[in-house]
Amino acid sequence: MGYSKVIHVDVVWWFWPLALFIFTLVIGIIAPVSGVGGGVLFVPLATAFFPFHVDFIRGAGLIMALTSALSSAPQLMKRGLANIKLMAPVVVVSMITSVLGGMAGLWITNAFPQGKHYVNIALGIVLFVIFVVMVRSKRVEYPEVKSVDPLTQKLGIRGEWFEPSLDRVVQYQTTNLPIALPAFAAVGFIAGMFGLGAGWANVPVLNLVMGAPIKVATSTSMLIISVNDAAAAWVYLANGAILPVIVIPSVLGITIGARIGARVAARARPRLVRYLVLAIMLLAAVLDIIKGLSGLGVI
Amino acid sequence: MREVRVDPVNIRFARVMEILTVVGLLVMIIPAIGYFMGINQFVSLEEAIKHWDEPAHKFWEDMKGMEISGYSWFLNNLSYTDCLSIVGIVILALTPLISLIVSIPKAEKLYKVLLFILAVEFVIAIVRPLFMHVTGH
Repeated sequence: MGYSKVIHVDVVWWFWPLALFIFTLVIGIIAPVSGVGGGVLFVPLATAFFPFHVDFIRGAGLIMALTSALSSAPQLMKRGLANIKLMAPVVVVSMITSVLGGMAGLWITNAFPQGKHYVNIALGIVLFVIFVVMVRSKRVEYPEVKSVDPLTQKLGIRGEWFEPSLDRVVQYQTTNLPIALPAFAAVGFIAGMFGLGAGWANVPVLNLVMGAPIKVATSTSMLIISVNDAAAAWVYLANGAILPVIVIPSVLGITIGARIGARVAARARPRLVRYLVLAIMLLAAVLDIIKGLSGLGVI
Repeated sequence: MREVRVDPVNIRFARVMEILTVVGLLVMIIPAIGYFMGINQFVSLEEAIKHWDEPAHKFWEDMKGMEISGYSWFLNNLSYTDCLSIVGIVILALTPLISLIVSIPKAEKLYKVLLFILAVEFVIAIVRPLFMHVTGH
């Protein structure tokens, strides 16, 4: 029988995979209800509370985000909500940076004896930034695009979908692609480095900067995540940072939980749950920074 | 009420992605059932918990005495249930690339170029670890 040496408590080998399954199931349920992405919650919380090395947690986080995105993107594309014309120019840039982010994250933990602690601190700081973005950013259902930049014009980034709440087909176009590209580059790097989902940043950029309607922004963000995370996953595969014992319970938990969560969200999305999840995120940020600083012997 | 016009490139991309995602999930989960039941494990579950708090490279050194670089660590051990499960993850990680390639013929001229560039970037991301090791040790 195996024993975990990390928490210094004798547990059978299946305790942590089972705990991980329940943990990701809960994340899967509360993510759609709170409007906070499951990928953003998983890595910081698992880093704070589970004994696995951050390399494996980031690898599992990436595969979780990839699986969720792959499962939902096709239906959204068929309905016209996720648009390959909006995704392609963005991902040309962000795919490169997400792979570089994955390489940087693994390099830091392996090249420096204290690398794991630096990554924990950086993760905590990134979480603070995500927290601020989530609290402050507003969502515009149907942004008004007054003028289209020449690059977007040339690429013809536009589309349409049937909106049941309006009972009509809604047409849209976007703008500001040159301004949005550097933002997507930065987001790709962070997503690859920490194994985080990137919806928290993709959606505001697509919606508020490029003028995509909120439904198009959330759907196309899924498509962007599917391509970026798939490319970054190869970095983790090539470094042995994908362990089925961690990945499988996580993917199963989040997949089942997301289905339950989607049904709950269709009925009620209490604000209290969103505030609670944001508070948990803030707590995870603090814990990750404390864990990193105590690992370095600073506190 | 008129039909929604969805670009044919979106439809083809979505169909390929849908099929490959199901295949990838099945290939990932079915061998994993055997793995968690203790059948033919490459990484013993009872041993794994002693080392899963170590960085990935040290985990493999301590578990198997091997230095990981590239994909041979699981490709050479496909008779084991856990390595077979990783093939499912490989299929999932290949899904966007295959969807991109299959969609190129349906795309408009400018997007043919963009999707081709994306596919090339993706292939570089896959083969890069074979000639460039970045783990810093």
